[in-house]
Amino acid sequence: MGTVSIRRRDKDSLAQFLGWFSLGLGSAQLVAPRLMCRLVGASGEGFSRTLMRAMGVRELTQGVGILTRPRPTAWLWSRVAGDGLDLSLLALTALKTQHRGRAAFGIANVVAVTVPDVFESLHLSRKQGEPQPGMRIRKAVTIRRSREDVERAWAGASDLREKVLEAGAEVSFTDAPGERGIELAVEFLHDPPAGDLGAAVQKLTRNDLATELADDLRRFKQIVETGEIVRSDSTPQGHLLANHIKQRPAQPLKEAIR
Amino acid sequence: MRATCWMGRNTVEVEEVPDPKILNDRDAIVRITSTAICGSDLHLVDGYVPTMKRGDVLGHEFMGEVVELGNGVDNLSVGDRVVVPFPIACGACNACQAELYSLCENSNPNSRLAEKMFGHPTAGIFGYSHLTGGFAGGQSEYVRVPFADVGPIKIENGIPDESVLFLSDIFPTGYMGAEMCDIGGGEVIAIWGAGPVGQFAAASAKLLGAERVILIDRFDYRLRIARENTGVETLNYEEIDSVPEALKELTGGRGPDACIDAVGMEAHFHGPLYAYDRVKQATRMETERPYALREAIMSCRNGGIVSVVGVYGGFVDKFPMGAVMNRALTIRSGQCHVQRYMRPLLERIQEGDIDPSFIITHRLPLDEAPHGYDVFKNKEDECLKVVLKP
Repeated sequence: MGTVSIRRRDKDSLAQFLGWFSLGLGSAQLVAPRLMCRLVGASGEGFSRTLMRAMGVRELTQGVGILTRPRPTAWLWSRVAGDGLDLSLLALTALKTQHRGRAAFGIANVVAVTVPDVFESLHLSRKQGEPQPGMRIRKAVTIRRSREDVERAWAGASDLREKVLEAGAEVSFTDAPGERGIELAVEFLHDPPAGDLGAAVQKLTRNDLATELADDLRRFKQIVETGEIVRSDSTPQGHLLANHIKQRPAQPLKEAIR
Repeated sequence: MRATCWMGRNTVEVEEVPDPKILNDRDAIVRITSTAICGSDLHLVDGYVPTMKRGDVLGHEFMGEVVELGNGVDNLSVGDRVVVPFPIACGACNACQAELYSLCENSNPNSRLAEKMFGHPTAGIFGYSHLTGGFAGGQSEYVRVPFADVGPIKIENGIPDESVLFLSDIFPTGYMGAEMCDIGGGEVIAIWGAGPVGQFAAASAKLLGAERVILIDRFDYRLRIARENTGVETLNYEEIDSVPEALKELTGGRGPDACIDAVGMEAHFHGPLYAYDRVKQATRMETERPYALREAIMSCRNGGIVSVVGVYGGFVDKFPMGAVMNRALTIRSGQCHVQRYMRPLLERIQEGDIDPSFIITHRLPLDEAPHGYDVFKNKEDECLKVVLKP
């Protein structure tokens, strides 16, 4: 055991947040440049509008860069440079515009995001060694049964074993401390194409392996410990994440499904 | 069949719904003979528990007669009279084996939702939102009971429904609240809330040997019922200046040895802090109004125990953690592990130590459930407990 190897990654939640922030701001600048110009005191016509769109493209590129790389140090520094550019443009706007208050509001906002940008860029710059792609995830359940029982049941769960094999996951059976049964763990490298962007798409399309395996392990545990998949009136198929969002009311079914 | 359904915030209706069917081998179908409205049902109706759906059948306090059994239930027979505990528990997982039935690891098919909300999932509960599994409840003519070989307790002699019905939830809940106070004899116990759970917590504290029990509420009729039936001391907080000061003065300056919060997330209080919580709760910036809990913590003696059986669902503000840490308080809590208490408490009832029916103030036919919810919620007509008869 020793050092924990699971859930390790270079990019922390602040870097992720800044990536999504870039995508959000960039989209607004690209889609609604006039509104964004007016918010910071610019006219929103002619050159200023084009410039706002160009800055939007810059933000989008940076967002994609941050979200898709395992250790986006350079992309984070590019955000710091972008903040400098934004501050200069806003300062120029402040000199020319009648809406000084709005320009000041814009400057205050850029300063507010420059602080975490610099902080996170420095943080990532201190990281050493090769960046690690993806992250190792281990989904696990504790099953209060003997090792033989659990292994026998696992041998019988061919669909689940096949899924695990396809994902290139490792399966382990460990005695739980304190005679609490067996820890069944399935560990795999979670490295979706396009990094965090891909991971978000997988979650939105309910195609996320970690969640699926967690579901499967819960159901497997239910069968081994209780002999059945537990079903309620609102979840006649038992535990399935896909059913969590849109459930039928907790009311008996018209037809018995067995 | 007829069933009491949640139809939206503050709307309860009795609807025609399909009869329940056996879905799993360890299921039973029970024909309800008595069912009750619980204080925690009011949190659902008031809209403070997330994941309710229009049409959800309510009710988690019920008893009745077994009319159908799955192949996997061999300790019950058709015709048995049973009381059903509100947490659904498999009996086989580590939580159940440790008698932590309300934390059963298998009985909640929506455990992922509960995990997101609470960090780890909790057991399935009848008629108590989709967070706890989306099981149809028992304020109806029939109910499906999963893991019927584990939960239901047989009532074998002619004890009337009303004396044993509350084994399903509130009597064990109140008892667990008192048991968590480590009563060994000679203690002073203060209890916030003279609703059904507070009443049973008070009675249980007495049964367990507490020397003095002080019950706090704002409704004189509820305090009177407690004085008459349990012989406890009472405090009406609306009539006094400060509950913590009064408790200090009543206990030689020490404070109660243990404090039980039997109020939960919708506490009332007169003062500026109440307005603060009310506004934050209404705007969903805080999910609870934890006034009773704060007061219980501040009142408890140094090194004492704060036992929380009132229901909370999310996050509280202004939680006096400094008092908890610096004064070495212990907080104990939990949805009741009812299965653990049903048999010993049934024995207490049979031996005549207590007759839980003393809290019943209203008996109504099932079809009048919406009226029952109204009088219970608004404390009309000196309402303390409503029992429905299908």
